Amino acid sequence: MFGPFRPTFSLFGGLLWKRPWRMSRPQKYRLRQRLRRVDSIVATVDAALSKKGLTTRSLERWKAEMPTEEEMRPKDKYTMFDRKVKGYRKGVHKLPKWTRISQRLNPPGY
Amino acid sequence: MAYFRITLLRSAIGLPRRTNGVLQALGLRRRMQTVYHPVSRDIAGFILHVKELLDVQEVEEKLSKSELHELRKPQPGYWVEKRTSER
Repeated sequence: MFGPFRPTFSLFGGLLWKRPWRMSRPQKYRLRQRLRRVDSIVATVDAALSKKGLTTRSLERWKAEMPTEEEMRPKDKYTMFDRKVKGYRKGVHKLPKWTRISQRLNPPGY
Repeated sequence: MAYFRITLLRSAIGLPRRTNGVLQALGLRRRMQTVYHPVSRDIAGFILHVKELLDVQEVEEKLSKSELHELRKPQPGYWVEKRTSER
């Protein structure tokens, strides 16, 4: 158990460099804060444009398609579809650059 | 006149080249830099393209660089009650 030949992952397989399969509670909390921040920015832009009687296609599309943080199911917030994974779901933190991109929609039925 | 006050909070390092291009178009070069743009459709499109990296507020007045600096200055820790020249 102790000593130089103890069976650890790094000794068995060499490099141990993997992300845990699920997010921690603070990670989920910060993810929710980021989702809300994006929601508030979209709302700000929408309010500013509608004061002038303007709108854009991308804004309308976002409002029509994207759920807000409150509307999202926990499953969609913290996991995303992946066809290669057993159960077709992986943690959203496995997505490259996941703190700086929006990943909200998943294929229906999965 | 209404402006968007846009601050870059997250850098676009490692993101697609178009993201960096949008930031360049907004005039954002470094994190925590603030720019003002009039409320218009094209600026809104830029903002929506990089909304995960920004902080956006709608403001009435555009602040100059020196005014922003004054706002960000910390309290000096003292205040002048009377100057010696006024005695």
